[in-house]
This record gives sequence, C-alpha cells and structure tokens, in this order.
Amino acid sequence: MPARSGRTLHRFANPGQFLRLSGVVLPWLFWAGGLLTAGSLLWGVFMAPGDWQQGDMVKIMYVHVPFAWLASAGYFSLAMASFVSLVWRHPLADLAAAEIGPVGACFTAVCLATGSLWGKPTWGTWWVWDARLTSVFILFLLYLGHIALIRAFDDPTRGYRAGAILALVGVINLPIIKFSVDWWNTLHQPASIGLTGAPTIAASLLWPLLFSAIGFTLLFAAIVVARTRAAVMERRIRSLLMARATSASGEEVAA
Amino acid sequence: MNHLPYIFVAYIVAVGVPLFLSAEVLFRTRSARRRLLSIDTRRGRGPA
Amino acid sequence: MLVVLVCGIGLGSAAALTLSAFSDNLVFFVSPSDLVKSAFNGRQVRLGGLVEAGTVEKSSGGQAGARFKVTDGSASVPVTFKGILPDLFREGQGVVVLGVEQNDGVFRASEVLAKHDEAYMPKEVAEALKKSGRWNPASGPPPPASTWNQPATEKPPG
Repeated sequence: MPARSGRTLHRFANPGQFLRLSGVVLPWLFWAGGLLTAGSLLWGVFMAPGDWQQGDMVKIMYVHVPFAWLASAGYFSLAMASFVSLVWRHPLADLAAAEIGPVGACFTAVCLATGSLWGKPTWGTWWVWDARLTSVFILFLLYLGHIALIRAFDDPTRGYRAGAILALVGVINLPIIKFSVDWWNTLHQPASIGLTGAPTIAASLLWPLLFSAIGFTLLFAAIVVARTRAAVMERRIRSLLMARATSASGEEVAA
Repeated sequence: MNHLPYIFVAYIVAVGVPLFLSAEVLFRTRSARRRLLSIDTRRGRGPA
Repeated sequence: MLVVLVCGIGLGSAAALTLSAFSDNLVFFVSPSDLVKSAFNGRQVRLGGLVEAGTVEKSSGGQAGARFKVTDGSASVPVTFKGILPDLFREGQGVVVLGVEQNDGVFRASEVLAKHDEAYMPKEVAEALKKSGRWNPASGPPPPASTWNQPATEKPPG
C-alpha cells in the first residue's frame, strides 16, 4: 500500500527521529573518522615507502585522492538529496542538500589545492587546462552555484526547488570527470584503481590510501550529518519564535 | 629541489579544512541547542 | 515553478554551450604522428609522447637546456628546450611540451611538463623489475601490477 510505505518512510526520516538517531551516531562517526584518518596519515607519512620516481612526493596522494573521491561522491549525495527534495518534498532532504553544498565545495577546493601542490614538483606546473582538471574545476563552480542559488530566494521552498534542479543537471559532470582521462589526452594520468583489473599501485603504498579514503569519508559524513542536525534545530527555533510572535500579536489584538 | 614544503602545506590544508568544518558545526550545534532550551523554558513559564 | 524551470533550462544550455565551445580544446596535446602528418603551420601547440631512449643531450655550460626526441612509437619529433626540466624528466617518461614547430622540422619548446603514468611502486620493486629484466623504464610503462611481487618470491639466493 503506497500510503503506508509513505508513512513508514516519513517515520524514519521525520526531523525528531533524525535528531535522536543522529545524536547517537554522530560521536561514533567523528571518532572513527578522526582516528582512522590520523592513523592512516601517520602510516602514509612515516611508514609507507617513497615512489621509485617521485620519492616522498607520492605522499601527497594520501591527501589528494580521498578529496578527489569525496568531491564526486559528495556531489552524488547532493544530487540524491535534491532528488528526494524535488520528488517527495521531504523537509529533511531540503536541509541536507543545503548543508552538503558548502562541505562539498570545501573538499573540492582541498582536492584542487593538494593536486596543484603535487603537480608543481612532479609535472612542473601548478595548473593546466586539461580535461580532468577543468572538469573538476567545473564541479567546484557547480557547488558554488548551488550554494548561492539555494539561498537566493526569500521563500526558502523556491530556493530548494531551484537548487535541486541545478544539482540534478550538474550530475552530467560526474561521468565526464571520471572518464576525462580515458576519453581525451590529458596531463593527468588515468585511474590507478578501477573496478576491473588490479590496481597499479604497490600494496605498501595502497593500504594507507585505502584507510585514509575511508577515514576522510567518515569525516565528511559526520560533518554533513552534524550540519543537518544543526539546521533542523535552527528551523525549530524559527518556527517556535514565529509561533510565539503570532500568539503574542493575537493576544495584543484580543486585549 | 627540496620537496618537503609542498608535502607539508598539502597536509596542513587537508587536515585543517575538515578540522575547521568540524569545529564550526560544533559551535553551531551548541548555540542552536542553547537557544532552543531557552525558548522551551520561557515557553514553559509563559501563559501557564 | 515556471521561474525555476526557466532557470534550470538556462543553466543547462549554458553548461552545454560551455562544453561545446570547450570541446576544441579538450585535446590537451597532439601526438608526434599527428604533428608529422599535419602541414607545417607555425602555430603554437602541445606535443605529447615518450622521451625516446638514447636521444637526450643535456646542454652543458651556461644555460640549462636539452635536446631530445619525443616519440609515440610510429613517429618521432626532435625537440630543443632552454630552461629547467621537471624532476620526473627521464628517458621513457611521458612528456607534454609546449612550443612551435620550426620549418626545419625541429620543435622548439618553451615549456616541458612531465606526464606521470598511473603506476606507483617503491624503489625496491622497480629495482627488482629492472634486475629481473622484465622492465626497462627507458622503453615504456611497467608490466601489469599483478606480476610485481613475483621477483621478490623468485629472487635467487645471495
């Protein structure tokens, strides 16, 4: 029965339930993410060997690849939240979409910055306009556009609709980023880790990368959930203040 | 060419940004909770 | 809702326009075969390929610079460059050089970028692969990663 499943979905995603559940999960997410990240970075810096060509420069990989992955994965989660917000008009999805944007933009900026710091000593340049770097830069602009658009309307509902449409249109950029290195000649090298075939990274370099990717992903999730939680509280404050203001003015009229 | 500064700056940026975002959301949550509590108690004392 | 729809269509078409305008530049570099095939035009292009083994002459004396050939297997183009080469520059390395083809067929580069491949391995693994004769870095990319740890297990004693 559609009505019933709708109610079940609503029960799991209603803001009060979300506040309780996220309150339990958040400390775990933050601690697991923080410890895993710290451990993997120490492992990567002090214990993993250098690359035969790049030497220690390869260690920037541990703070570049996770952010590159999260720039795309974060955008995908933004698109999912936007879809739910557009189709089911779910208030929690609206708030989540508004909160994923700034976090995704920050992570994309870190990806671009660490990539640049890696490119200068290895490639010999801070930046080139090849297809990979340009498509990630467009992803960054999409995040910024979404941040501005979702807050651009006096009526927040219209902001959520407009932001959701922008986020869904922008999804086209994700496969372009992924396959840019295969479709066109780029300065950026093709992927070292794929769904098919063995990774072209030696295991001693790969393990810390895997853990730092998981660690940063948990941190990303923790920050987004915490921000959504704060946004739910802020919305509750607004509606309480509004209710008080109308009841107060009602009393004045009555008096 | 000494490459250590590049690695150092990259790690500072990559650790600093999530730390900053975490601290920011912590303060935001705290202030929201404080305001929410103050509204609730005021409302409780209100008309009743 | 109409405003939002118009916004969406506007943004979509803007993105499409950007992408199509951009498609001419999506090819970051041309290969030596492309360059040899195309008529001489004196325009600045990026040339990408491998540094051909045994062709690198670093200039000694006052100014840093080098002469080498860039190849893609079927054609190779002589390149001259004055300036500091990136650290990863070596024989067999992928490079992208920005410059102009002279009418004598020599490519005068103003910028040399090293292109890294997708393989990362510790020095010991690279040494083992070279020692076992299964890979010569000057001749191209390393063998598949699934075979990398074989030399360690098959290493003869002593």
